[in-house]
Amino acid sequence: MNPRRAALDAILQVTEHGHSLSQVLPDTLNRITDRRDRGFAQHLIHGTLRWYERLVAIRQQLVTKPLKNKDEDINTLILLALFQLLYLDTPAHAAVSETVALSQKLKKPWARGFLNGVLRTFVREQAEILAKTPTTPAVQFSHPQWLVDKLQRAYPTQFETILQHNNQPPGLVLRVNTRVQTREEFLTKLQAAGIKAAAHPLTPVGIELDEGVDITALPSFEQGGFSVQDAAAQQAALILQPQAGMRILDACAAPGGKTCHLLESCDNQAWLLALEKEPNRMPRLQQNLARLNLQAHTQVADAADLDSWWDGQLFDQILLDAPCSATGIIRRHPDIKHHRRETDISALTDIQAQLLDQLWRTLKPGGLMLYATCSILPDENADQIQAFLQRQTDAQLQPISTSWGQGEMGKQILPGDKGMDGFYYALMRKGERA
Amino acid sequence: MQKLDLVLYPNEGLREICAPIKEMTDGLDRLIDDMLYTMYDAPGIGLAAPQIAVQQRLIVVDVSEDKTQPLAIINPEIVRSAGQITWEEGCLSLPGIYAHVDRPRDIIVRGMDRDGKAIEFEANDLLAVCIQHEIDHLNGKLFVDHLSGIKRARLIQKFKKLQAEAQSD
Repeated sequence: MNPRRAALDAILQVTEHGHSLSQVLPDTLNRITDRRDRGFAQHLIHGTLRWYERLVAIRQQLVTKPLKNKDEDINTLILLALFQLLYLDTPAHAAVSETVALSQKLKKPWARGFLNGVLRTFVREQAEILAKTPTTPAVQFSHPQWLVDKLQRAYPTQFETILQHNNQPPGLVLRVNTRVQTREEFLTKLQAAGIKAAAHPLTPVGIELDEGVDITALPSFEQGGFSVQDAAAQQAALILQPQAGMRILDACAAPGGKTCHLLESCDNQAWLLALEKEPNRMPRLQQNLARLNLQAHTQVADAADLDSWWDGQLFDQILLDAPCSATGIIRRHPDIKHHRRETDISALTDIQAQLLDQLWRTLKPGGLMLYATCSILPDENADQIQAFLQRQTDAQLQPISTSWGQGEMGKQILPGDKGMDGFYYALMRKGERA
Repeated sequence: MQKLDLVLYPNEGLREICAPIKEMTDGLDRLIDDMLYTMYDAPGIGLAAPQIAVQQRLIVVDVSEDKTQPLAIINPEIVRSAGQITWEEGCLSLPGIYAHVDRPRDIIVRGMDRDGKAIEFEANDLLAVCIQHEIDHLNGKLFVDHLSGIKRARLIQKFKKLQAEAQSD
């Protein structure tokens, strides 16, 4: 399939039909046979969604009379072309003619002249049009206004850096499965295969790869020798350091990256219960466990509803990787900017508070709970934990001593900080009081 | 059963030496039930009478994970102690602060149970820590008194800050 056509379809699935990109992308890419075309399509989709707000603002300078709703495909086609003209080194004539040709396939021959006119105007008058386009942070960095406002309030001196980093595609980081091989052994194999890789400085089992390689083709993939996981997410097991014989709960486990890391780090010698609320996310978790040859007890359940799953036995350690706004991983999932609404946040913080309070009851005195989100909003992180500590007076915040992250109330990693995803961790011990 | 109000630092009642209990009464039985209820509710693993503003030598403890081993001791005393253990202690009268305290690991405790029967038994580890912590309360002593002056001052300051924050919210 034509990569531009595939990209257009995928973007419309996200922007018009409310699907998440991770739902849409695998099918889209599977429909493209050529490897390079696949890469190009993925690039177009990510880039156009990443720069969506800015591209829309530029389009407004070009198209003064808005198209009808049923012509949203043509509208989006303009964004796709503008992305190529602005951010890729596709020759201008190719970007224009390929886009115009696509309108024929959409059976909208009237659009031929329209697209030609709009795009040629842009090519001709690019400098003036960009000069007229608003330069507010929301447009310049292509984020919804409410999110810009929230980030500016939370990080008055850092918010522009955050917005910038959200637009930079992340590097590839692997987690070595030390039950199969040491990091050094794996690095040697990669080197032998001619793949540039380096030990990650912030995780003893992490490896940074130079560029987007096909991970299924890397040595030891079949044997479960590694997993793909950002260094920020690898910190969960590094902080908790689960020990053999412990009873551990992973409360919101799918797709299971952290679950597997917890088990790997105690050589699969812990009793671990992995809960996941969404039944359709459970297979991924089970596949990951199987691929890495790890044993966990898995159950589809809402962790906050103790009656539905808890047998009354307390846990030594709990990982609560809570549902969140995912505002820390926008660089990975640019469609978050499209889907997330300001009103989502209070619903999420309610769910998080519920999970914290309910799961706290299942923790042993002296046990540890690690609260994690991939959010950078204080409402979901430091403020959430401060309120929790006031509700649960036997909860004792533990220091997390690391070279990464900021803040007193738990550790906040901002996106791009030391190359990592935006993440938040707070470690709490259940104090014994007498 | 009734939940009793917890006495918080720096209430002076926490600094008094409590009087021995001379006779068993129905009121005492009810008090023990209320203290256990208050302790579980807090939640805590032990509670001494002065922590609920009763200046008498009475403690309740339950260090079991499933809260099924309540124990009340009247006029408790430690007749022998040995070993050493460091435990991170917290106190219902000083919510929000914790510190590692060194104490004997193995103790022999003597006193009366809630039926007025004389008891003597050995306690170890967390149970020993907890009983010692409670008996300290009967003598006007808090877990922070086991720490160095600097460490104590810093913890007390943190406690005051937490209390101020809790009130302002």
